[in-house]
Amino acid sequence: MVYTHRHPATLIMGAIFLLIGLATGSGLLDGLIQYLHAQKYVGEMVWLGYIFGVAGIVVGAWHLWGTHEEGDLDYYLSTVAGALFILLVALLIRWYVAPWVAVISKAMGPVMGDKPIHKVLGLNYVVLGILAGILITNTIGVPQWARNGVRLSRLGLKTGVILLGTLYSFAELAQLGKLSVVLIGVFVLGSVGLVLLFGRLRGLPNTMTGVLSAGMGVCGVSATVAAAPVVKARPVDIAYTIGTILIWGVGCMFLFPIIGHVLDMGHVQFGAWAGTGILNSAQVAGAALAYQPDGIETLKVAEIFNITRVLFLPIIVLWLALWFVKREEGAEKVNIGQVVIQKFPLFVLGFILMFALSSTGVFAPPQHYKGKYFDNNIPESKLLKPEEAAVLKSEIDAVRAKKPEYVGALERLVENRKIMSREDDAMIRGLNNAKVMSKQANKLLKKAHKAVRHTAKKIKKFRQWITLLFAFGLTGLGMQITIAAIRQAGGQPLVVGGIVGTLKAVLSLIVIILFVHETI
Amino acid sequence: MSEKQEKDIVEGDAQNIDIQEVDGFRFHRGSALSIFGSDRREDMMALLLALLIALGVYLLVP
Repeated sequence: MVYTHRHPATLIMGAIFLLIGLATGSGLLDGLIQYLHAQKYVGEMVWLGYIFGVAGIVVGAWHLWGTHEEGDLDYYLSTVAGALFILLVALLIRWYVAPWVAVISKAMGPVMGDKPIHKVLGLNYVVLGILAGILITNTIGVPQWARNGVRLSRLGLKTGVILLGTLYSFAELAQLGKLSVVLIGVFVLGSVGLVLLFGRLRGLPNTMTGVLSAGMGVCGVSATVAAAPVVKARPVDIAYTIGTILIWGVGCMFLFPIIGHVLDMGHVQFGAWAGTGILNSAQVAGAALAYQPDGIETLKVAEIFNITRVLFLPIIVLWLALWFVKREEGAEKVNIGQVVIQKFPLFVLGFILMFALSSTGVFAPPQHYKGKYFDNNIPESKLLKPEEAAVLKSEIDAVRAKKPEYVGALERLVENRKIMSREDDAMIRGLNNAKVMSKQANKLLKKAHKAVRHTAKKIKKFRQWITLLFAFGLTGLGMQITIAAIRQAGGQPLVVGGIVGTLKAVLSLIVIILFVHETI
Repeated sequence: MSEKQEKDIVEGDAQNIDIQEVDGFRFHRGSALSIFGSDRREDMMALLLALLIALGVYLLVP
């Protein structure tokens, strides 16, 4: 069968991309970009505009005027139309719609601490992309010429998950305390087990139960995407899981800090609780900052717990592979070796491979975390000037009176004119957040922090790729979700997610209050 | 889909006995969710793509 449609759409989309590249490169869109505060996307708009523009025009011309016969060339080249269609929607959202939503949201003022409504609701380009996909497929419908390419979205998500491995390293994980690993392990595995149990009791399909368990157990969107193929999840299962996690997270962001203050939890305790009970990384950070707006101890602990969850991803995927085979095939005994060979997804092995490569220091110094690393071997020009150190020195007594825990790190900074260790770096950031020093001193603290904190360019580039692949995959996924499928799924996944999420939050709160004190 | 395209598809198709239809979309390879015939093949392609990106980043980004 011939898949290519003689349709000008690919050519037109290529022309739109090229126009975006040209208009951005020549400065025509400067006013709009400034209004949207979208300066950080300018590079992408230009080079992606040119690449996709040229590709669209060349393949579009072939689609319109070439000779198409059944075969591989026709099959694979016909996917370009759908792929460009997803990319156009995803990138228009990333470059213009999401920043516009942010502008409007900020104009409405903060709703929680200093957070505007779009941050609280998690309305970023990923969520907006899924929503746009659902909107398109349920209104105008995905055009016939794009249908074959839309089936590429899962390939994009899998590639993104593999590349996620580059953001982490063994050295960072080695710093984790044993208690955090045990705590997270118990709650991750426990949540997965509970969702599998409740899913069966409430009559959810295995595909929905499997993917929901990964999402509720591990760390939101990435885990959901990683587990989806193992349990043959449908797009609606994935969307429902992501929706459940986000809705749950919004509630947690408001409730966790209130409960934390009522119980008078320590910073370490609250960080551990937020990192265990809330699933979405951004929302974990939001709750931690809402709890301790004048320091970063809570945030740091919460981030450590967040990283630890990733460790369990391959274990969960293996567990779900075995569970799914047992449930679907009704097998009494499951041969683990056989399931691993036949069902364990290679792309999760790819994630582990990238994690191992990243740990060797191929892409960034091995101690990096998400591309950021501490290194205080800096040139003389990056040191604080003697007069700047004197400004900080003059305020040490004020700090000693209000926040004595920061004095040691501040004194070492004054003496050496640079931050001396990772721990001191965390303290200096905390001191800056605490806003107990003058504006000028706070600026100097920021300067000192920036001088020793580096971003690996390669990891930055990987993050751009991951973002692009996830935006592509999730927008395409949204295009495969019909209202009928959502109705068919009903409200049960939200109920199961809510029950397990509440249990996890309450139990982890009890365990943390009993066993976690000020160190992990 | 126009009548002519419909005709082209049916007449030009040697494997139309395997044609599947989901929500109006017709295909004879892969599944409703993927252009690839199996998950393993899709995984392999994802791995290959990720390795190519990693190699590109490694070689081109300073």
